[in-house]
Amino acid sequence: MRFTKAETVEEALHAMAAGARPIAGGSDLMVAARQGKSPLPESIVAIDRIPALSRMDADERGMRIGAAVSHAQLEVDPRIVADYTALADAAALVGSPATRHVGTIGGNIMNSSPAMDTGAPLVVLDGRVELRSLDRTRQIDISEMWTGPGQSVAAVDELCTAILLPERAPRSGSGYVRLEYRRAMEIAVVGAAASVTLAPDGDLLAAISVALTAVAPTIVSVEIPKEAIGRPVDDDLLDRIAVAASERAQPISDVRASARYRKHIVGVMARRAAASAFGRARGETIGVPLNRTAGIGAP
Amino acid sequence: MVISESRPFLRADGPDKVTGSGRYVADISLTGMAAAKFKYAGMAHGRITKLDLEAARSIPGVYAVLTHKDVPDVRFGAIPDRKLFASDVVRFEGEVVAAVAAIDAATAARAVEAIVVEYEPLPIVDDLEAALDENSPLVHESWADYDADHVVRDRNVASFSSIERGDVEAGMAEADLVVTSRFEADASHAVPIEPRGILAQWEGDRVTIWSSTQVPFQARAGVCETLGLATNKVRIIVPHLGGGFGGKCGFHFEAHVAALARAVRRPVKLVFTREEEFVAPDRRREGMTIDVTSGIRRDGTLVARRGRMLLDNGAYTADADFFPQLAAMHLAGPYKIPNVLIESSLVYTNRQPSGSVRAPTAPQACWALEAHTDELADAVGMDPVAFRRLNAIDSGSVGVVGQTYGEIGLQQCINAAVEEIEYGSDLPPDEAVGVAIGWWPSFPGPSGVYIKIDDDGAGQIITGAQECGTGAVMTIPHIVADELGMQPGDFELIYQDTGAAPYDVGATGSQTLLNNGRAALAGARELARQLKELAAEHLEASTEDIVLQSGEASVVGSPASSVSIVELAAIAADNNLLLAHGSSEVIETPPLVGSTCVGDQGVAAWSAPQFSCHAVRVRLDRDTGVVRVLEVSTAHDSGTIINPLGATGQVEGGVLMGIGQALTEGTRYDEDGRQLNAGLLEYKLQTIADAPTIATRFIEIDTPDAGPHGAKGLAEAPNVATAGAIANAIAKLVGHPIRRLPMTAERVWETL
Repeated sequence: MRFTKAETVEEALHAMAAGARPIAGGSDLMVAARQGKSPLPESIVAIDRIPALSRMDADERGMRIGAAVSHAQLEVDPRIVADYTALADAAALVGSPATRHVGTIGGNIMNSSPAMDTGAPLVVLDGRVELRSLDRTRQIDISEMWTGPGQSVAAVDELCTAILLPERAPRSGSGYVRLEYRRAMEIAVVGAAASVTLAPDGDLLAAISVALTAVAPTIVSVEIPKEAIGRPVDDDLLDRIAVAASERAQPISDVRASARYRKHIVGVMARRAAASAFGRARGETIGVPLNRTAGIGAP
Repeated sequence: MVISESRPFLRADGPDKVTGSGRYVADISLTGMAAAKFKYAGMAHGRITKLDLEAARSIPGVYAVLTHKDVPDVRFGAIPDRKLFASDVVRFEGEVVAAVAAIDAATAARAVEAIVVEYEPLPIVDDLEAALDENSPLVHESWADYDADHVVRDRNVASFSSIERGDVEAGMAEADLVVTSRFEADASHAVPIEPRGILAQWEGDRVTIWSSTQVPFQARAGVCETLGLATNKVRIIVPHLGGGFGGKCGFHFEAHVAALARAVRRPVKLVFTREEEFVAPDRRREGMTIDVTSGIRRDGTLVARRGRMLLDNGAYTADADFFPQLAAMHLAGPYKIPNVLIESSLVYTNRQPSGSVRAPTAPQACWALEAHTDELADAVGMDPVAFRRLNAIDSGSVGVVGQTYGEIGLQQCINAAVEEIEYGSDLPPDEAVGVAIGWWPSFPGPSGVYIKIDDDGAGQIITGAQECGTGAVMTIPHIVADELGMQPGDFELIYQDTGAAPYDVGATGSQTLLNNGRAALAGARELARQLKELAAEHLEASTEDIVLQSGEASVVGSPASSVSIVELAAIAADNNLLLAHGSSEVIETPPLVGSTCVGDQGVAAWSAPQFSCHAVRVRLDRDTGVVRVLEVSTAHDSGTIINPLGATGQVEGGVLMGIGQALTEGTRYDEDGRQLNAGLLEYKLQTIADAPTIATRFIEIDTPDAGPHGAKGLAEAPNVATAGAIANAIAKLVGHPIRRLPMTAERVWETL
């Protein structure tokens, strides 16, 4: 096995062009190898010491999150918590404190699991992924990133270098909530993220997006009927969101839950995510993560 | 005597475990050591039609591949129904077909892959009711040939027991109301954090085996029985043990590894993966179906109970032969019922064998009984706590098998637990409190200890006791030091080594403090006598006038006349050595009075029974069925509490395990009889992040015929009542009991 440590993005890209696979926290790669699901690659390049990948920058256009930023950083970063709250809700639920300190957002995205927690928040926050290879740098909408479980549009020599989040409109809020059976070392049974923007003058809906976790081969968006725009966010609208989410879901039955249960619960999660996003858009303080405040069995 | 009041209790093994300097089996390496790996059946029931080892044996670096042909043809187990290796039929997925020793683990794994086994599939027995049908396929075709006269058995029923008292028909006729309930519990697992490791090394005709076992002497007996060795040729050493919870009781794979090591003339080490730890050992918590009918008078008095229980034995009878009777006792419960008939069967299936996981049979049976008890209270319109106060046994009561109980603290436990949780006070919406009571026997048994003090005054305690994490062994130096006027730190423990210590039953049946504590007390008193005699001679006083205190022997009434124990040790080193031994004296088990029990396994009348009441407050998320336990208050009568800090830790651990069993654990099987969640992600243990507030009170009763200073056991009792209390809280919120364990979110949601 060949192991190299990259100091710069360019070094990493050269190694990848020569066939190396990148490793940052290793919280997916190592676990999969130990479980015998996929052996470690013959050649590995460590990208966890590249300063450019660990930075978070903000300007008037939005935020740029380095791919090697950890979940632990995201869950407490004041700008993320204030403006991109759904992402903080999700980052705070990943694994355990230990996994959140080594696991990175870029790794979470490139692992392409339909049960990933940060995926649905990034979709509703209109995130873009920056992919770099020696030849080119490109940005793609996160909603076009995944093609199936463990599958993405990224070429084998492309490194995820950053996630770009556009500036939020005033009076926006977001939230992510998942069904979990315990509070640590858990994977989403189903989950939902929502982003809500309210009209400047009053509590009428100006924009909404909802995305779902672990109910399809990839993270999926929910089509919210156009009639919702301009309406108040009331129980009727939230019920419609729940129904739309359940209808969008194509879950499987497995040891975690039956398809029937998942289909129902994802509607419940979408409703709660939307209600909390609405509350946050109105300026209500709803703590992070949502799972501990407005979520499952919350005290 | 209460340790924590006199001085802080620092576990002697704590710093090693916390800092990482402690060594476990997997940490040990010996020169020339080979790695072992097993070939498992991988199917629930099949006849071996071909077993070809040539490809595996020809892989470079493979030293040996062993099968049933390479070991003595011996059956073992509580019902001798099992051999080390499958020879003709495999009966569960984790059955060992062959064992490989190779230069490293990766080569051993490749060799296992290269072993060719073909099977003729046989029909899978995995339904407890269907297994009783006279046309059901048999798990053991030749069951009648097994030598097990001590159990009542027939075909797929490995062991049948009943408890019977009074006239249940007449009792039911006398009742104003009869309530019938049915419950079903899934199997679950012990899940120790350390997957087991075994390392064997031969020197001549003697073998030393380092094993992560809870019961080194039982493991030794298993090796001797299956490999045909004398006990003094086999030495079992347990370095630190990374938890057991019953899962490491019994004899498991020590003989396989010893046989490999003998064959390859090298040390051989086996270390399990997490999946193997789930699938291979014969210590699963048994699944159960439970039918219970009770007759009550309109005033709430219990008059009769009939029960029928089916316990999933799995493919082999590890130590579960006595489970039916124990389960029946937990369905009868600590209640006054004049007419009782409970029939209980241990049923063979093509699943992993069941065995003693912490309080075997009790959490499931207690869960069913206590849910049923709330249904009874509801039927007569009584508060469930008042119903229990009326019907639960108290000091002097006669229980379900006619045993008259001495001074016991069950009623006080009920009072303490409900008081602590402020039972009856107003709660927010979707919150409720549930209450359950439980009991558990103490198991007196043989054990011994040697104690010596060497020339510098430093002491050693050599005990056969096994520390499985409870801290019970760590309490022994405190018991000894208190008798000798010394400090616990003056003693080092030599333990977990069959080559050094007297026999002990092991970390099983909550027996360590009960029995080893008594042996330690006896040994310490003998050593105290030796010290006093020596001091009396030195101080020219009478032996009776010598007191041992603060590291000195002094004459009563004249403290100036004294000699230090260090000085006495130096004197003794040149004369009669300071060397004592102690044994736990036999405690007679109470007889069965006025009851008849078919298939009696000796677990119907109990020595020094332990009692508990758990009260839990839960919140239900009605949209999802998720139940969260917010608060647990427990009260336990485990006799005198010798170490309150350790005892509280035992209760808290038991409660957390109980919450997992109640809500999130449970083993799932596919239709081919294979486990679907044999891993830590899908088998949902509770984590520290899930832990509720737990308050614990001890009802301390100095109990005769119990352990040292009137202590009873406490390792298993905290795991008995939690699930039942949670069930009753959920039932209050949803309006009916959840009749399947674990009461998962989806199962709760299905009933809403």
